[in-house]
Amino acid sequence: MGDAIVLLLGGDAELYGIIGRTLAISGMATLLAMMVGVPLGYALARGRFPGRTLLLGAVNTGMGMPPVVVGLVVWLLLTRSGPLGDWGLIYTREAMVIAQFVIATPLVVGFTAASIQALPAQLPDLLTSLGAGRLRKLWILSREARLGLLAAVMAGFGAIVSEVGASMTVGGNLRGSTRVLTTAIVTETSRGNLPVALALGCLLLGLAFAVNLLLTLVQQRRNG
Amino acid sequence: MDVAVEGLRFERGGRTVLDIAGLAFGGGSTTAVFGPNGSGKTTLLRLIGGLERPSAGAIRIGGTRVTRDPASRRHVGFAFQEAVFVGGSVRRNLDLALRLRDLPPADREARVAEAARECGIEPVLDRSARQLSSGEAQRANLARALALRAPVTLLDEPLTGIDRVTRVQLLDDLPRMLATFAATTILVTHDREEAFRLADHLVVLVDGRVRAAGPKAEVYTRPPDRATAELLGYTVVGTGGRTIGVPAGAWALGNGEASFEMVVERVVDMGNHLHAVGMVGGVRVDLRLRPGEPVPSPGGRVLIAARAHVPVG
Repeated sequence: MGDAIVLLLGGDAELYGIIGRTLAISGMATLLAMMVGVPLGYALARGRFPGRTLLLGAVNTGMGMPPVVVGLVVWLLLTRSGPLGDWGLIYTREAMVIAQFVIATPLVVGFTAASIQALPAQLPDLLTSLGAGRLRKLWILSREARLGLLAAVMAGFGAIVSEVGASMTVGGNLRGSTRVLTTAIVTETSRGNLPVALALGCLLLGLAFAVNLLLTLVQQRRNG
Repeated sequence: MDVAVEGLRFERGGRTVLDIAGLAFGGGSTTAVFGPNGSGKTTLLRLIGGLERPSAGAIRIGGTRVTRDPASRRHVGFAFQEAVFVGGSVRRNLDLALRLRDLPPADREARVAEAARECGIEPVLDRSARQLSSGEAQRANLARALALRAPVTLLDEPLTGIDRVTRVQLLDDLPRMLATFAATTILVTHDREEAFRLADHLVVLVDGRVRAAGPKAEVYTRPPDRATAELLGYTVVGTGGRTIGVPAGAWALGNGEASFEMVVERVVDMGNHLHAVGMVGGVRVDLRLRPGEPVPSPGGRVLIAARAHVPVG
């Protein structure tokens, strides 16, 4: 921990770069996962359509998807000879965002569906009868389900900020470009530089704790 | 504001849930849609409230066709059978309902205070709505719908799921509450007493079809068929080639204009009086014995008379 503090206070530009990159990539992937996952989770929770149960089962399976497998699939899609190779995204931060988005989305969908399903079944009808339009209804329901929705953010962010397999596979762990805290830990460990690896590990834990603490504070705020 | 439905049909999963040729609810009236569970009462209310789209037919509110209009454009207040609330206090729930109708803050505050006073929920206004007793929750549920002062108020089983004492109190209070806030009221219930106590008009719904409709005295004294008569509480028996409905409590031992032989099955001791239960021509009859009357023996036959009855059909 002492090394971590020394590293952090030492003004190491590379370290600050890694921390910033970690937050930016995982933050963007979480944001995208929320934008797609929340409406999808809502539709799965409230919709009545053929294949809904199958879809929920697939989402629940996706919640436990190994990141390295996701990394492999995204790599196969983005690699130069892959179907999306022309996009030139392999070994870029965008590729890492895509892989992390794929990992986080099922978690967000699953948590959202569960939290919406936990609301009283007649609440949407009540809001409709009171005159709430579609968007206003979604907003009020989201407020009602905010404990679950923030749990979805925490689960999604927590899963991707701490994963290494997918980031390493599609990002390549390029120094100054795609190296994030997890891949940096792997690098330092393989070099035998254990104190630095441990220090980075402590930083990662601290970062995850700080973000989750912030979200927990928002989550536990009383109804306004 | 009057409400009318024309050629209304609603199907779900290939089954016709509701099929009503025509029905009108007069402006300013209170109508009870009365029928057994599964008769389509709540579906009718949801169709009028805009929570379901009919398979065919039209709904008019105040003469305007609203069949395809969203709920927000129908000017309807709706109290659901289950008292459902958003998180937070009762005040917040009432305020939200008024806010969704775009009322200015000063008006909202006054309306909330008035509804709370008239519906007897002032003491719990700042308590969490989700922690109310069943009776308080039902009053808050009604207050939220009534505070809207909508031209049409829809109440789905307003006295279901509450304890007996609270139900009796609410049954007493509800007509006053409706008179204060509601213009046209349509309530659905499977409870005969509720229907007669709260409404001035009655619609009897069985298997999605209207069996009888009109002022309650008219419907009560002229049941069109056996099913309706039984729903209205009559014991339906045949005598002299005609079918009559005998209201509960109108049977007495002895001879009369309409007399029957009852085979006594058992005598039930109710504590302060006795009931003789038996069969008349395949129909179960419950006869309350008056003090001093001879107690019939199970298996025996007694002559009983209907002191009052109505023609059925």
